[in-house]
Amino acid sequence: MRKAVGLFLATLLVGVALAQGQVDPREEAKRQKQLLLETAGILPTELIVAQGEELFNRKGPSGKTMAECDFGLGKGVLEGAAARLPRYFLDTNRVEDLDSRIVTCMTRVQGFKPEQVKRSEVVAIAFYIASKSTGHRIQVRLLFPEERELYALGEKLFYARSGARDVGCATCHVTYVGRRAGVLPYADVLGKDKSWTHWPAYRYSNDQTWTMQDRIRACYGNIAHPQPALYSQPILALELFLAYNNNGAVVEEWPAFVR
Amino acid sequence: MRRKAVLAFGVLLLGLGLSQGPFRARLEAAIQGGGPRFAQVMLSQDKAQALCTQYRDRLPADLVPKFLEEQKALIKYPASGKLMGDWRNGEKVFTDPKRGNCYACHAGDPKEVAHGTMGPSLTGYGQRGQSEAVVRYTYEKIYNAWAFVPCSLMYRGGVHGLFTPEETADLVAFLLDPNSPINRR
Repeated sequence: MRKAVGLFLATLLVGVALAQGQVDPREEAKRQKQLLLETAGILPTELIVAQGEELFNRKGPSGKTMAECDFGLGKGVLEGAAARLPRYFLDTNRVEDLDSRIVTCMTRVQGFKPEQVKRSEVVAIAFYIASKSTGHRIQVRLLFPEERELYALGEKLFYARSGARDVGCATCHVTYVGRRAGVLPYADVLGKDKSWTHWPAYRYSNDQTWTMQDRIRACYGNIAHPQPALYSQPILALELFLAYNNNGAVVEEWPAFVR
Repeated sequence: MRRKAVLAFGVLLLGLGLSQGPFRARLEAAIQGGGPRFAQVMLSQDKAQALCTQYRDRLPADLVPKFLEEQKALIKYPASGKLMGDWRNGEKVFTDPKRGNCYACHAGDPKEVAHGTMGPSLTGYGQRGQSEAVVRYTYEKIYNAWAFVPCSLMYRGGVHGLFTPEETADLVAFLLDPNSPINRR
């Protein structure tokens, strides 16, 4: 928590110059991406996607690669799969997003023990699988009761005001859209910004590779609220809520390249 | 006819009871999945937070007077009765991300450029003078913003103990003292 508050302050200070100059953060990200491409010849996102592909094709203790796993569209089908997540899976009897489905694949199909699953590997694989959904439309459904119930929880959490700072997601991302507390103006996550399509992403300002799970945890950290655990129901619930509200949005580029 | 209606109503109530109970339990279990600290904060909303959540920050007009009254009752004052303290300490509390964290939303000292735009600028706030009414309003607003605007973004720092009544008085001084950088030209 202390670290998160510190980080928040640091980003605040680092970004002052940018905030003062009123540069559009999205235009600035495009410029940084171009600069990086010209100097390094390759983008960090491409490196991580390549790393994820390698991990995807690595054999687990059971001798199987991840191609044996179903990410929602059938065994080994990756094209457009991430754009349809989170969704309910019959084999696990629960709603899973890309991150948790990767963990399910590694543990149930590839035979890894839960403690052997490294977060950095899950993120790299998520980058790879997500890259196969660039250009696809978000298509998330509320078909199964499990999906509807998780959506209801996500909606509740999104509008909930709690903790010593009396805030919640909607306070900034609905009521105060466009204003800023740090460097960037608050995104209209349910509306025009279609924030669900911005993650997973590489954040060049902090050299971080994040999925939406990390992003949601950071949001809670920024408001000095205890963070929900990775892969936990509250995170999945918020993801389903966000994704469903961005249905129909086209994924411009996954993994994205953001500030 | 009447008996039928009563029976139907009873069945409806039973149905609601059956579906609400387990649903609520499942909801709480799902929140517990986020971890004990997350769940503890999420599941211990106070009455005001629960109302703001329920009505998505737009409290119905008929609930406003009682809401404001209850929030006003939560305000505590320094034992000394002095609502204006030391502006130098006020500046520390104002800036500290763990206490006031005020720059996250407000402009203050014009030299401080790393400020948010969520709330109004406080630069030159001292122009209002130091009448009893101004000092009292400033104190109470800082201590508990929801005693004035239900469900506003400004959190209730005094109520949650992020700063003490004495520190609230120091914040008041930081805003009102002519020597404070907020008011110096």
